[in-house]
Amino acid sequence: MLEATGISKVFGRLRAVDDVSAEVRQGEILGLIGPNGAGKSTFFNCLTGDLAPTTGSVRFLGEDITTRSPEARAELGLARTFQLPQTFTGMTVLENVMIGAFLRTSVTAEARERARRILDIVDMAHLAQTPAKTLGTPGRKRLEIARALATEPKLLLLDEAMAGLNPTEVRAAIDLVRVIHGMGITLVIVEHIMEVINSLADRVIVFHQGREIARGTPREVTGDPTVIEAYLGKRASRAGGRT
Amino acid sequence: MSATLVQVIVGGLLLGAIYALFSSGLTLIWGMMNVVNFAHGDFVMVAMYIAYVVYVLLGGGPLASVPIAAVSLATIGILAYFLLVRHVMRGPMIAQILGTFGLALLLRYSMFGAAGANFLSLPDNLVGGTYEIFGIRLQASRVVAGIVALLVTAGLHLLLTRTSLGSKMLAVSEDATAAQLMGIRPDYMQAIAWGIAAGATGIAGALIATFFYISPTVGETLAIIAFVTVALGGFGSVPGALVAGLLIGLIESLSAYWIGGVWKDVVVYILFIFVLWFRPQGLMGKS
Amino acid sequence: MKKLLWPGITAVLLLAYPLVFTTPFQQRLGALVLLYAIAASAWNIVGGYAGQISVGHVVFFGCGAYASLALFTHTGLPPVLGMPLGIAAAVGIAAIIGTPTLRLSGHYFSMATIAVAELARLVTTNTEFLGAAVGLSGPTVPRTWLDLSFISSVPYYYLFLAVLVITLGITWWMERSRIGFYLRAIRDSEKAARSLGARAPRVKLIAYLLSAGLTSVAGSLYALMFQFVDPESGLGILISVKMLIMAALGGAGLLFGPLVGAAILVPLEEISNSLLGGRGAGLTFVLYGAIIVLIARFRPDGILGLFQSARKAPEKHDA
Repeated sequence: MLEATGISKVFGRLRAVDDVSAEVRQGEILGLIGPNGAGKSTFFNCLTGDLAPTTGSVRFLGEDITTRSPEARAELGLARTFQLPQTFTGMTVLENVMIGAFLRTSVTAEARERARRILDIVDMAHLAQTPAKTLGTPGRKRLEIARALATEPKLLLLDEAMAGLNPTEVRAAIDLVRVIHGMGITLVIVEHIMEVINSLADRVIVFHQGREIARGTPREVTGDPTVIEAYLGKRASRAGGRT
Repeated sequence: MSATLVQVIVGGLLLGAIYALFSSGLTLIWGMMNVVNFAHGDFVMVAMYIAYVVYVLLGGGPLASVPIAAVSLATIGILAYFLLVRHVMRGPMIAQILGTFGLALLLRYSMFGAAGANFLSLPDNLVGGTYEIFGIRLQASRVVAGIVALLVTAGLHLLLTRTSLGSKMLAVSEDATAAQLMGIRPDYMQAIAWGIAAGATGIAGALIATFFYISPTVGETLAIIAFVTVALGGFGSVPGALVAGLLIGLIESLSAYWIGGVWKDVVVYILFIFVLWFRPQGLMGKS
Repeated sequence: MKKLLWPGITAVLLLAYPLVFTTPFQQRLGALVLLYAIAASAWNIVGGYAGQISVGHVVFFGCGAYASLALFTHTGLPPVLGMPLGIAAAVGIAAIIGTPTLRLSGHYFSMATIAVAELARLVTTNTEFLGAAVGLSGPTVPRTWLDLSFISSVPYYYLFLAVLVITLGITWWMERSRIGFYLRAIRDSEKAARSLGARAPRVKLIAYLLSAGLTSVAGSLYALMFQFVDPESGLGILISVKMLIMAALGGAGLLFGPLVGAAILVPLEEISNSLLGGRGAGLTFVLYGAIIVLIARFRPDGILGLFQSARKAPEKHDA
C-alpha cells in the first residue's frame, strides 16, 4: 500500500539516507531499526512528508505523494506520531484527540463524540478533561497514538513510540499496538528496542549509516552477522568517544 | 554614464556597506538561535546617540565614538540576553516577539524622554570634508564609514567561519544539547553572540551617525531596512547580508535619484514584499 | 449557568456604565475603552488564537478610518458607508501579506506586518487623495442622522458596545468551531497539527483576514467619533502597539482578554495624558514598553490567564 523507491536525503555534506527502498504491504507491521543516527528517522520523515527526499519517490495507495504536504497525506489515510511527543499543551486530553477527529468531520459535537470513542480504545477515557500538559511521557506517547487514530488512518507510522517507557509501560504499549493492528490498520514502527520489534513486526528493515543493510523477519535479521556488527561496532565506538 | 549617476552609485554602495554591517548583527542572532531582535534598529539608534554624546562631551569623532559605542552596545546586548532573551526564547512565540518588541519601545521612548524629539546631527566636517576624485564628489565621512563597515563585516564573517569561537557558536546553533555534551556552554556562547552582534551594531550606529540624522524614532526605519536585508540575504548568512545590504543601498540611492527622496523607502518596502512572495529563502539561501 | 455568571456581570456593568458615570470625560473614556477593546479583540483572533504576532495591525485600522473619511471628502456620502470599502481594502492587504508569510516561520509574518504598516504610512503621507500629511476630516455639521455625528459620547458608547458584542460573538463562535480548535493546535505545535490534517497556512490566513476586516471596522468607528484622521492617528505604529499590548496584558487567546486589557490601559493613558500633557505621551509608551517586556518575561498568558490556570488547577486532582 506504500512504496518508497530509491529514497535519498542529503543535508549539506551529510548523506542521511542513501538510496533506500521499502514497500509496506496491506495489513502487516513493518519495523525500521538501526542504531541512533542510522537514518531511520530521516527515512521515516520522508514518508510522512515532514522532509522532502533529495531523490526518490513515495507512492501511497497508488498515488504519488512525494511532494504532498503532511496534511494532504493525513487526508489520504496516512497518520504518524512523533518521537518527541508534540502535545498540544494548551488543551485537555480530549481536545487533543478532537484535533485528529476534525479531519473527518467539521462538527464540534461529532468530533467530541469520535474523540471519546478513541479515548475508550486507548484506555484514557478517565483522563478526558485533564489538561494535556500535566501528562508524563507515557501518557503523552499514548495521546500521540490516540490523536493519530482519530484521523481514521489506513496506515499508521509510529516513531519510537516506546522510547523512554519502563518495561511495564512498554508491555502496555505493545498491547495497544496489537489492538490497533486488530482494527485493520497497517503499521510501520521505528524502534531500537529489539524486544518490541521481535514481538510485533512481521518484517524488518535494518539501517546503518544511511543505508539498508538487511531485511527479513525479525528472527532472520537478528541472526545476520552484518547487523550484529553494526550494532556492536556502534556501541563500542560510542563508548570510546565518551572517555 | 554621467558623473552624477556614478556618484549616486558609489554613494549607494557606501551606504549599503553600513546596512550590511548592522544587518549582520540581526542575521547572526536569527541564524544562531531563531530569535528575531525587534529592538535591533533601536540598538543602532542608541549607538547613534552615544556618538553624539561623545562629540558633545569630548569633541571626539568616530575614532573615539566607534570603540565606545561598540563596547556599550555589546554590554547592552549581553544584558538583554541574560535579563530577557534567555527567558523568552524557550517560551511561546508570543513571548519571544513581545519581549524584544517591548525592549524596542522601552529604548525608543526612554530616549524620547531623555533627548526630546528633535532631530540632531553631527557637524559635516567632523570627518574630513568633501573631495572630488575623477569628477565624483565624495563626502569623506561616508567613504570612511563605508570602508570601515566593509572591513568589520568581513571580520565578522571570518570570526564565525575561521575561529574556534565561531565553530563553537555554530555547534550551539545546530544542536545545543549535543554541543553541551561536547563541553560547550550554550548559554555562554549565545551571550557572546549577543555581545558580538550588538557590538557590531554599535559600530554601525556610530558610523552612520557621522552623516545621518539622529532621532529617537530613527531605529524603526533602520530596523525595517535590516529586516529587508536579512530576508533578501537569507537568514543567518553574513555574506548574504553583505550582498543584500549593498544591493539595498544601491536601490535606495538610485530610486532617490530617479523618483525622489520620499519614495526611496517605499521602493525598499515593496522589494521586501516581492522577496517574501517570490524568494522567501532569500537570494543566497537554499530553496 | 455558572459559565454565564462572569459574562452576565460584565454585560450589566457595560450597559450601566454611562448611566452611572455621567461626566463627559468619563463617558468619552468609556467609549474609548470599547473602541480599543474592539480593535484589540480583532488583533486577538490572529495574534492570540493563531499565535501569529502582527506588529503592524494599524494598517487595517487605517484602512477603515481612511476609507470612511476619504469617501466623505471625495463624494460627500456619510462616512459610515465607507466601512465596507475599508473592510475590502483591509482584507486585500491582509491577503497580500499573509499568503506568502503564513507559510514561513512566524518571524517573517511579524517583520512583514511592521514593514507594510510603515509602507502604508509613508505612502499616505505623500498622497494628496488621502490628505497627505494634513489628514482628512468628516462632516463638521451633521446633515442627516446617517452622518452619526453626536456631541455626547453616549451614542458612540452604545454603538461601540454593539460592535464589540458582535466581534466577541464571532470570536466565541470561532473558538468553538473546527477552525478555532485548529488555530489553538497550530499555536502549540504546527508540525503536529499538520500531521493530523490541519491545513495550517489556510487556517491561519482565514484568521488573519477575519482579524483584518474587524480591525478595519474599528478604524471606521474611530473616524465616526473623531471625524478626523491623519497619518499619525490613523497609521502610527503606536496604535499597533496598543492593540497588541491590550490583548497580551488581558490575556492573548482568551475571549475577554483584550477587553480587560483595554479597561486597564485606556484609562491609564487618558489620565496620564490629562495630568502630564504632551510629555505624558512619551512616558506612557516607556511604560507600555516595560509592561510588554514584563508580560513576555513573566506572564505570557496575561492577567486572565492567571485566573484561568488558578481555576483549572483543582481539576488535576480529579483526574
